Amino acid sequence: MTGALFAQSLVLGVLLGGLYALLAAGLTLYFGVMRVVMIAHSAFLILAAYLAWYFHERTGVDPLLSLVVTVPLFFVVGYGMQRFLVSRLRPITLTTMSVLLTFAVALTIEGLLGFIWTGTQRRVQLGYSGTSIEVAGVSVAVVKLIAFGLAALSLAALYLILRRTSFGRALRATTQHPEAARLIGIDTDRVAGLGFGLGLATAAIGGTALALDYTIYPSLHWHWIGPLMAIIVVGGLGSIPGAAIAALLLGVAASLLQVPLGTTWAQTVFYLALFVTLMIRPQGFFGGRLAQRF
Amino acid sequence: MPNASSGTRPSGPTAAGPTTARVVRIGGLLALAAVVLLFPSLAPDPFILSVGVVILSYAVLATSWNLVGGFTGYISLGHAAYSGLGGYATALLILRSGLNPWLALLVGALIVALIAIPVGIASLRVRGASFVIVSIALVLILQLTFQSWHTFTGGSGGLRVPRPFGADVLRPEQHERFFYLHAVLLALALLTWWLIERSRLGAGLKAIREDEDKAQALGVPTFAYKLTALVTSAFFTALGGGLYALWFGYLDPIFQFSILVGTYMVLMSLLGGVRSLFGPLLGAVVVGYAVEVFKSQYGDTQFHLVATGVLLGLVVLFMPDGVIPAITSFLNRRRRAASIREVSAEELARQREEATR
Repeated sequence: MTGALFAQSLVLGVLLGGLYALLAAGLTLYFGVMRVVMIAHSAFLILAAYLAWYFHERTGVDPLLSLVVTVPLFFVVGYGMQRFLVSRLRPITLTTMSVLLTFAVALTIEGLLGFIWTGTQRRVQLGYSGTSIEVAGVSVAVVKLIAFGLAALSLAALYLILRRTSFGRALRATTQHPEAARLIGIDTDRVAGLGFGLGLATAAIGGTALALDYTIYPSLHWHWIGPLMAIIVVGGLGSIPGAAIAALLLGVAASLLQVPLGTTWAQTVFYLALFVTLMIRPQGFFGGRLAQRF
Repeated sequence: MPNASSGTRPSGPTAAGPTTARVVRIGGLLALAAVVLLFPSLAPDPFILSVGVVILSYAVLATSWNLVGGFTGYISLGHAAYSGLGGYATALLILRSGLNPWLALLVGALIVALIAIPVGIASLRVRGASFVIVSIALVLILQLTFQSWHTFTGGSGGLRVPRPFGADVLRPEQHERFFYLHAVLLALALLTWWLIERSRLGAGLKAIREDEDKAQALGVPTFAYKLTALVTSAFFTALGGGLYALWFGYLDPIFQFSILVGTYMVLMSLLGGVRSLFGPLLGAVVVGYAVEVFKSQYGDTQFHLVATGVLLGLVVLFMPDGVIPAITSFLNRRRRAASIREVSAEELARQREEATR
């Protein structure tokens, strides 16, 4: 591999890793506040991508503007999903049953997308779709930079919300010890609902970023759920910094392996990492206090 | 501790109930066997017969799934990995090493059982969540591999499986023979479930399902038990997949390694009831029939996905124990439940809560 090619793959890997980090943060939020393995996250991602595409198709305006609608919409849907569906599950079997429930939601979304917009592959065509910036021999597509920028901004916002607001403190308390949180007067049900909404809002942003750069089709979410699940296990279930580090490392690894192995085989690095993690360190390599028991 | 839960059924000498219950159960079993045996001669046309084969195949897969899902409560969404591997192993053993088809089926299933060991070691060390994630990942990675590895698996073009019976056996006769073969395999899977349920292994597995920490504290070798259940389940699932491949005659990685097939197994088992022997079979008849109808009616649209999704959601939310337990508990309440019944940790907690209120 030449130096230029290496640098190119590295940069692309970091950019992709950023997007992965944002989406894995969402998954980590659900697991943290509710012990819910949210399979439907990537289905909502594709739904947001479709909404962005449809918005652009109808109005001709930049798909990024659809965020104004989709982010609040997804937040409300996430809140409702937690309050009206997930919270109805019995506490003892919550983790495994939540998988089935969210999986059912994912299937329904995939089916509805296919039903409404057919299985045809869709792609957003923009003025800046083909343009790329070249810095020191590495050329990067503008859309990838925008996607990374969106991811970085949202992760920073997420960090600020979790660290600096009272809601963030309540959310972290609920994650760490729900009973103690209730004892000091935190309405954990409400917090869990809002946390769920926050997680789903990240899917709206991720999906819109995805629509800029990828060809989308209803069953695309399966290609995302595997790597994302692998990332949250490697990072230690429930740990947002762990997920972010794992996302960047694995994104870069997949990108570097893509040159000698090709796209398909490079994908297997996620599954390999998942398997190795569970064999060597089941609680995850980063953070991951919660994972041992779930 | 041994046999603590063998009073699962109202079979103890309690009231007048047991004898009638036994008669009902044996009668039901005989009726079931009669329906299965007579179905091929009653089926009006080969298509209906082939639907019968598909439903039996689903029943084999769901019953095999229940060997791990029902006993331990570990929900695998990726059992299609084992059925798909079973199909491919059988086909590749026939094609590449010229093995007798029936021997290939058995050897293939043994290979799959061996593969399930490292998978189990990796995924069963932590509780539920990681197990589900690995089960999904396994299907996705196998789909990638079998689609890309053209030289060995035939890639996305698929793989033609040689027919085990000579070319002179016509299609309807094929259906009939495979119908009975599937029925035999189903009977074997049900028998295995029944034997495990009565064994120390079964008691241990159920203890794990109710409270893994307490089971471990009581000295149940939880990891070894879970692994045994998973490997047994993978073995039967692979046999089911292999037999289906021999009947269908064609393998396509998209359909063999599909999360949807794994979902059907879960849905069937849950709908019928994961705690009962015949739950998955009942579920397979209902869901399998519905799936076939949906495919033939709305094959081109993605509507069958919506139907599956909504049905799964409803079952999970409102009937997580399944139809059979729901009916049984309803009948027991009517009869004022004279016998000792299996009580789950959840029900105990609820009773305790009501008592202290």
